[in-house]
Amino acid sequence: MSNINQKSLKNFISLLELLGISSILMLALAVLGLKNPYLMRVAILVGINIILVVALNLSNGFTGIFSLGHVGFMAIGAYTSSILTLTVATKSTNLPSLPIWLAHTQFGFLPALLIAGSLAALIALLIGFPLMRLSGNYVAVATLGFLVIIHIVLINWEQFTRGARTFSGVIQYTTLWWVYIWILITIYVVWRIVHSHYGRALLAVRDDPIAAQTMGVSILRSRLLAFVVSAFLSAVGGGLMAHFLTSFSPATFYFTATFNYIIILIIGGLGSISGSVLGATLVTLLTELLRNFEQSIRLYGLSQIILAAALVLIIIFYPKGLIGYREINWLQLLKLGSTKGTNNNSERR
Amino acid sequence: MKRLNLFFVVSLVLVITLLAGCAKKPAEANVIKIGGTYNLTGAMASLDVPASKGSKLAVKEINAAGGVLGKNIDYILYDGKTDSATNGSIATQLVNSDKVVAIVGNTDSDSALAIGPIAQKAGIPYLTAGATSPKLPDQVGSYMFLEPFGDNVQAAAGAEFMYNELNCKTAWLLWDKGTEYTTLLAKYWKERYEELGGKILLEDTYSQGDTDFSAQIARLRTLNPQPDGLYIAALQASDGGTIAKQLRDAGVIQPIVGGDGWDGPELVGVGGKAAENVYFTTHALANAERGTPKMKAFIEAYKKEYGAEPESAFAALGYDAIYLMADAIKRAGSTDSEAIRKALSETEGFQGITGTITYPPGKRVPQKSVTIIGIKNGQYTLAAEVTPEKIPEP
Amino acid sequence: MGALNYIVQQTMNALSLGSTYALVAIGLVMVFGVLRLVNFAHGDLMMVACYTAFFLVATGLHLGLFSILIIAILVATLVGILMERVAYRPVRGASNIITLLTSLAVSIFIENIFVMFASPVPRSFRSITPLFLNIVNHWGTLVVSNINLVIFGVAILLLIFLLLFVTRTKLGISMRATSEDLMAAQLAGINIDRVIVTAFAIGSAIAGVAGILWAARIGRIDPLMGFTPLLKAFVAAVIGGFGSLAGAVLGAYLLGFAEIFLIGFLPPSLSSYRDAFVFLLLIIVLLVRPNGILGSIEREKV
Repeated sequence: MSNINQKSLKNFISLLELLGISSILMLALAVLGLKNPYLMRVAILVGINIILVVALNLSNGFTGIFSLGHVGFMAIGAYTSSILTLTVATKSTNLPSLPIWLAHTQFGFLPALLIAGSLAALIALLIGFPLMRLSGNYVAVATLGFLVIIHIVLINWEQFTRGARTFSGVIQYTTLWWVYIWILITIYVVWRIVHSHYGRALLAVRDDPIAAQTMGVSILRSRLLAFVVSAFLSAVGGGLMAHFLTSFSPATFYFTATFNYIIILIIGGLGSISGSVLGATLVTLLTELLRNFEQSIRLYGLSQIILAAALVLIIIFYPKGLIGYREINWLQLLKLGSTKGTNNNSERR
Repeated sequence: MKRLNLFFVVSLVLVITLLAGCAKKPAEANVIKIGGTYNLTGAMASLDVPASKGSKLAVKEINAAGGVLGKNIDYILYDGKTDSATNGSIATQLVNSDKVVAIVGNTDSDSALAIGPIAQKAGIPYLTAGATSPKLPDQVGSYMFLEPFGDNVQAAAGAEFMYNELNCKTAWLLWDKGTEYTTLLAKYWKERYEELGGKILLEDTYSQGDTDFSAQIARLRTLNPQPDGLYIAALQASDGGTIAKQLRDAGVIQPIVGGDGWDGPELVGVGGKAAENVYFTTHALANAERGTPKMKAFIEAYKKEYGAEPESAFAALGYDAIYLMADAIKRAGSTDSEAIRKALSETEGFQGITGTITYPPGKRVPQKSVTIIGIKNGQYTLAAEVTPEKIPEP
Repeated sequence: MGALNYIVQQTMNALSLGSTYALVAIGLVMVFGVLRLVNFAHGDLMMVACYTAFFLVATGLHLGLFSILIIAILVATLVGILMERVAYRPVRGASNIITLLTSLAVSIFIENIFVMFASPVPRSFRSITPLFLNIVNHWGTLVVSNINLVIFGVAILLLIFLLLFVTRTKLGISMRATSEDLMAAQLAGINIDRVIVTAFAIGSAIAGVAGILWAARIGRIDPLMGFTPLLKAFVAAVIGGFGSLAGAVLGAYLLGFAEIFLIGFLPPSLSSYRDAFVFLLLIIVLLVRPNGILGSIEREKV
């Protein structure tokens, strides 16, 4: 009995640690950003990336559904929430052929985000049913197909999306506060699922398809839950991004974005929430730093090359990402010399 | 793994401090800082790189001639990477960290819409070198200026040229559904062409990046009678060259008319003989033999600086945009952004190499005549200079 | 053009398009077959061959066309081998996703190197394309250009040649053994490294050939040109069966037909949804026959 209590206490502490890390990070960035609007932008970007990558990790890292289509959910979230929050005036100039009931309404930011998230969750539920049966590679390809289909629908459904034309005039609702709150929500939700009955089952069979087959239906249900929740959170992230950029087009949510998030995910570590948090922060900041560097020496395009090379190196030397499968343990970090209670994966490959 | 975690965290702290450090740039008193925003990498690079080179050349020339108001121009150029978030970041950097007095750059509307609102909010005039969507100034605000004519203007010119000069009373319309520019261009063209009395026998689309048009061409060939002319809205000259080649190969010989996206050496380079009987609306004839003296000087200078002739008209646009901005600063007599904006909005009769620029009162899309280039014997020749009679509303 | 003629013309268009996809897909599957690696940088190998040819001509060295092509293909092969040695060998045996991401990173790396040093503006490939390839044949109202006929021929010949190679030659059989079971192949005394390098070399050489023909067909090259052929070949291989050479070719032709006929027969308002339909088809194939049409049912090893 005490064993279980000890374990749940340990888990709870790790949750607190997670929320703590994120809060400190955001605070640090916020302090920098207060004086400098550019750094504030970077801070918000870091925050949104954290949300998106943690959500992606729920699906790709913890449950082994390697989805390449999550940016599609992001796009759904971005477009849906933006259409809802546009003022009636902007709607009439930018989206003149909206159906009447939509053209004359304007939603607040939070309701719009929730509706967008729910829509994405619904779509995830629909496509999830057939897709969750597939494994590994096949899911990746199928979700890639999903991304392409969403992209094409966005380009063609001009009535709602202005097609390939830039969707602009979105009100800039996103602030660091909004992002911070959603970070906390995302981490909490993902953590709860991972440490729930569903999550444990999924983790146990993540790498073992045979065992997965023996477990049968409960696995499917767990996967679907993770997929749907991950889609919801990605959509919210997309909505936050949309109300931060204030203008975007279907090209904003396509392959380039997909690769970026997958790269962060791998660098941080599949299956580690703290990995995603730290990974998103590090990569976003590093990208900005490199960009400024390449600008100062006028060798444009250098940052992409360096990042690609870094990714190759990390995959070769640290294929589990910089944090690996476990959560970062701060107490351990501080007691550098101690080898006791190492719950870190010491296997490199 | 512990050591790695530590390394991870330490590097994070390091990056944060470095970033904070480089976000502040030292202030310099004796230069005029103009921001440059171009997508030097990513999908738009093929259009933006030549434009950025034109801009840089202009800055060099102006500084060599003594600068503006006695000061040199410091052209702070950032790469937007054809990414909305990055474009927003560089705009914020230019406005807040670098404290520029004006921004010149970009050839596409997506990026312009990412940068415009930030410049607008900060009261910094933003002049795009090549973005042609006529809605931009209204979408963004009073600080947003277009250096080239709007797509509605060139589409109208194209329609009138096709209907009147080329005598095409019926047409086939093909456009790239994947970009804002081509979608808008096709829309404006259709409006003007049908207004003139032209009849569109068939409309078809393709996606950005497509290289095979055989299906659309086969569908075109089923039309009986065949259309008199073909209007094709393509994003860049290499697309145009490929489409023209496949059309001619299939035996479709009618004249082709396109927009400024067709302007570039790849049209003849890729299309070869297929480019005969192709016309397109553009900003100027960037030809060393047949251009204006100013244009010839530009081509010479470009060749000297970069070792090759200008890749496309966009190089000329980037060049003109800087000169226009410098002229506005001179007329404003100060580096106050509001004064620059006012001077810019009052521009009248500015002689650039891409035409004469005048901003009608209250409008920030210039009145510029449209040059129509036709390909004859593999040469880019001047087919017409058109000022459209009627222009579709943006 | 009558209805029958229209269908025949579109069929020829589909065969032409399918052949270009087949060329790329064969190379892709060649590498995957042995290494279980989807080489995202396959399209970039195509690009490297094209740029090599382009720069050789630009230097004005007056090498014969034949020599230029050989050198270009050789360079692509070398780059491919280098890729394997530096980036893929260290992650051999890792999960599929890891190797996929490695190849993705390599692809981004190569593309951006070329963007930086070779300029992102597209260049014309016409100067390198021999004139006879540009000749268009008119058979009645039907149109087909020589380049398309050549590509069709090369695709079929390549398929036959490779099939013979993997079934009749010692090296080819070793490759198949390695692809089925790496451990067992090693135990049987096969030099894994040599087999893999050879497979990569062949795959990269094919990529070089495919790249040059692709560029000759559309007339231009640019640093990002490899992405589209890669995506198409990938879809083709999934539909037809990733483990099978014939499957890749079959998938390529199916894809070509799907694309052409969707444009040709859907009303213009819907034809831009063409790619959506293609990917829907892809998803359906994955659900019904995850290993592709010609793919074998993989037995789970317990």
